[in-house]
Amino acid sequence: MLLKGVSRKPLLWLAAALCMAFAGLGHAAGSPASVEHARIRWLPGDLPLAGYFDLTNTGPRPLTLTGASSTVFGDVMMHRTVHRGGETGMVPVHDMQVRPGQTLHFTPDGYHLMLMGRTRMLAKGDAVPIRLTFSGGRSMDVMFAVRGADMQ
Amino acid sequence: MSLRNPVARTRIFLAAAFCSCAALLSGCGQDKTWDLDNITGIVSPLAFSLTDDAGRHVTAETYRGKIVMLYFGYTHCPDVCPTTLATLSQALSKLGAAADKVRILFVTVDPQRDTPPRLKRYAEAFGPEFIELRTDDPALRQLAKRYRVTYSLGKPDAHGNYEATHSSAVFIFDDKGKARLMAESSSSAAAIAHDVQQLIGGA
Ligand SMILES: [Cu+2]
Repeated sequence: MLLKGVSRKPLLWLAAALCMAFAGLGHAAGSPASVEHARIRWLPGDLPLAGYFDLTNTGPRPLTLTGASSTVFGDVMMHRTVHRGGETGMVPVHDMQVRPGQTLHFTPDGYHLMLMGRTRMLAKGDAVPIRLTFSGGRSMDVMFAVRGADMQ
Repeated sequence: MSLRNPVARTRIFLAAAFCSCAALLSGCGQDKTWDLDNITGIVSPLAFSLTDDAGRHVTAETYRGKIVMLYFGYTHCPDVCPTTLATLSQALSKLGAAADKVRILFVTVDPQRDTPPRLKRYAEAFGPEFIELRTDDPALRQLAKRYRVTYSLGKPDAHGNYEATHSSAVFIFDDKGKARLMAESSSSAAAIAHDVQQLIGGA
């Protein structure tokens, strides 16, 4: 589930996206990372959504996740939910280092992709492409499954 | 299963024995053990005057006879609020038909954006036991203060979007409106279901 350089070839990209949508998970040969459990919790209307995933560095060198973007959302940010003295809020997160072999978990009540400004209607069962970007100009396109509001 | 089968008969006997032991252990007069934080006598009883997601005026009396779970949040909260509500929803599924004895009341700390129609769609995304409630300041401040809940709205960005910080506690009241237990976003659905089942049973 890779892929750098493919982004400028829309047809190829679409084909890759479709493959990923059906393959669900796994990673392509030569990719330095794999992503599993990529999912979005659906909420009604235009409410901001949260995206979750597990990113494993399968390469030999440290990887730094610098951000994410998507054609389906006007704005994608990396956030962390924090609890302080009984109060809960969100703080922005910037560069996240992943050591070789390490898995970074974006999970409910922890790290999440903050997905704002839907550019189209979404429903449970949809698949949404999100590009994860890494330092060094690398990127990876991942299909996220839209799940119900009561997703665990 | 035939009773002529000795293995089956033994199984029925063991099951019956287990059931009566369980009944004794959870019987009247026995102190209940709670998985969640016990707040009996510490937090004020359920009392409020709010507007529900259908635009009706409601008070604590409206939900008397139900186990009530009270949570303060806002619909533009993408992570902790829906995660908490999803956990409560999962706890309700574990209760089966008894889930109808429970109502989850979500009071918005962002009444400006959370209009009744928006709240209605939000409640429907989680299930029939979920009810979204609102009021404006100063009534909202007063209600939050009653439960020692704090919240604050952030500064709007260039698009007018803003976030809020808010308490993550879920207050659980018995069918008489007495505060009994407190859950957190980190509480498990199993723990919540266990304790609510005991409250439904009259504990
Ligand atoms: Cu966020």
